[in-house]
Amino acid sequence: MGGRELKLLESRRLLTLLLAGVFLWSLSTVDWRGPIIHTGGLAAFLDFLASLFPPELSPGFLGLALSASWQTLAYAVAGITLAVLIGFPLGVIASGSVSGSIRTGLGLAVAVRLILAAMRSIHELVWAVLFVAAFGLSSLTVILALALPYSGILGRIYGELFNQVPEGPLRALRASGASPFRVLLYGRLPMALPDMLGYTFYRLECAIRSAAIMSFVGIRGLGYEIQLSLHDLLFDQVWTLLLFMVGMVVLVDMWSSRVRRSLVS
Amino acid sequence: MTFARASLYGFVVLALVSWGYILAATDGGAADLVSPKTWSNAGNFSRQLIGVDSPTRPAYLEVDRWLVTGRLALDTLAMSVLAIVLTGVAVLPTFLSGARNVSNGDLGGAPSRLGTLFYHGVRLAFTLTRAVPELVWAMVIVFFLSPGILPGAVALAVHNYGVVGRLSAEVVENLDPGPAKALRSAGASNLQMLIYSIFPQALPHFLTYLLYRWEVIIRTTVVVGFVSAGGLGREFRLSLSYFHYTDLALLIMWYLILVIAVDLLSAWLRRLVTGKG
Repeated sequence: MGGRELKLLESRRLLTLLLAGVFLWSLSTVDWRGPIIHTGGLAAFLDFLASLFPPELSPGFLGLALSASWQTLAYAVAGITLAVLIGFPLGVIASGSVSGSIRTGLGLAVAVRLILAAMRSIHELVWAVLFVAAFGLSSLTVILALALPYSGILGRIYGELFNQVPEGPLRALRASGASPFRVLLYGRLPMALPDMLGYTFYRLECAIRSAAIMSFVGIRGLGYEIQLSLHDLLFDQVWTLLLFMVGMVVLVDMWSSRVRRSLVS
Repeated sequence: MTFARASLYGFVVLALVSWGYILAATDGGAADLVSPKTWSNAGNFSRQLIGVDSPTRPAYLEVDRWLVTGRLALDTLAMSVLAIVLTGVAVLPTFLSGARNVSNGDLGGAPSRLGTLFYHGVRLAFTLTRAVPELVWAMVIVFFLSPGILPGAVALAVHNYGVVGRLSAEVVENLDPGPAKALRSAGASNLQMLIYSIFPQALPHFLTYLLYRWEVIIRTTVVVGFVSAGGLGREFRLSLSYFHYTDLALLIMWYLILVIAVDLLSAWLRRLVTGKG
């Protein structure tokens, strides 16, 4: 035991050195010779901070910000619903609990887990840029791009939750002659549902951010308005939009944490 | 259960309204998606990515193209490392004051007005930075910093400061208060208590979160690079607008290599941090 601990300690020391080295290397890739802050950058920064007091509060602009927030929320919700619809069946297969035969079940599970990992490995905006190049810009293309990585993560988590369900009730179901599908429907699903719900609500908050940046491919919403205001150097408008973004995220976060708390009790 | 059930129904209604709004307000594009023209365009795009009809050799078969883009991939990796280190450096001195049980004296310290002020300030900073996505921070930051690796890393760090900071503060709030109280009753000062009990207890969690976020950050570096003009992201945009599609394919390959490498590396480091394995 002592030798093992010593080895761990040594490898940690080595690791610390290694990480410090990596950090220094990353610093060295920054071009420090040129100006870090560009000409007028500092003035622009101070201007940006000063524009918070006060932000743009005219009724017309607040209305615009509100409708942009709704657009972003709608895309986020649409993306998440599609992600649940795709992620749920994939999660079921990934848990390896669909097929009666262990071998086919396991083979399928490994294949689906790889697909889920592939969906997750590409950022939603990169998917969106590629999809728009392939299919042209439309709401559905963008929602699909948004849903892909979210399906990947939801599918993985759902699969894990299905597998963490206590075995006892499942065995009882099997003993009474239930097919694997019925074991899933009446055993695994109801027991995993609270955690699935809690996690999906948590992801909704992330989807709002993802929906906002879809402005980059031309989808309207908060990100789009922020881009426009930045382009016109209207920092007070930018702040208003940022605060709407913060407000929406905080509201959804409060909702989702209340859902999770009510599920625990 | 009732609140959760009501929320579930509420969400279903919200989903229906959202889909209805999107399909009604913006034509949606369902007709486009099933039209043969769209699919032949998509087919062409994939063929161009692979470069089957192109007169020149596809970029991903050229060793020197791999080397040139490899530099960009290395820059992107550097951006992610810089981002995660900046995040860590910013979170480390602030997350303790963001924990309620530290600021209100539950762990044995006396509550102070300054502590409460710090608590609210830090929490506000967490919320503000976390709520705004990396790409939006990057759009703002390019107004101040010269384009390259640094603005991208800073944008990633600003958002992740809020994410990691909040998670770390929550870890402290859920810590076992025993060791801290034991130290306190042995006469330790507030600072000693934080340094010798809270901090070492929270550190492994903090490092684990940082490593998890590194996996998210490496996926986002390309996106941030779209506007901060550093690493693979800039080249990705250029190749797309100049129709250099086989170059684009090569950049996607590098992107995937980075993502897989960082996922494996982070899993290995996390095992080291928690001492299992």
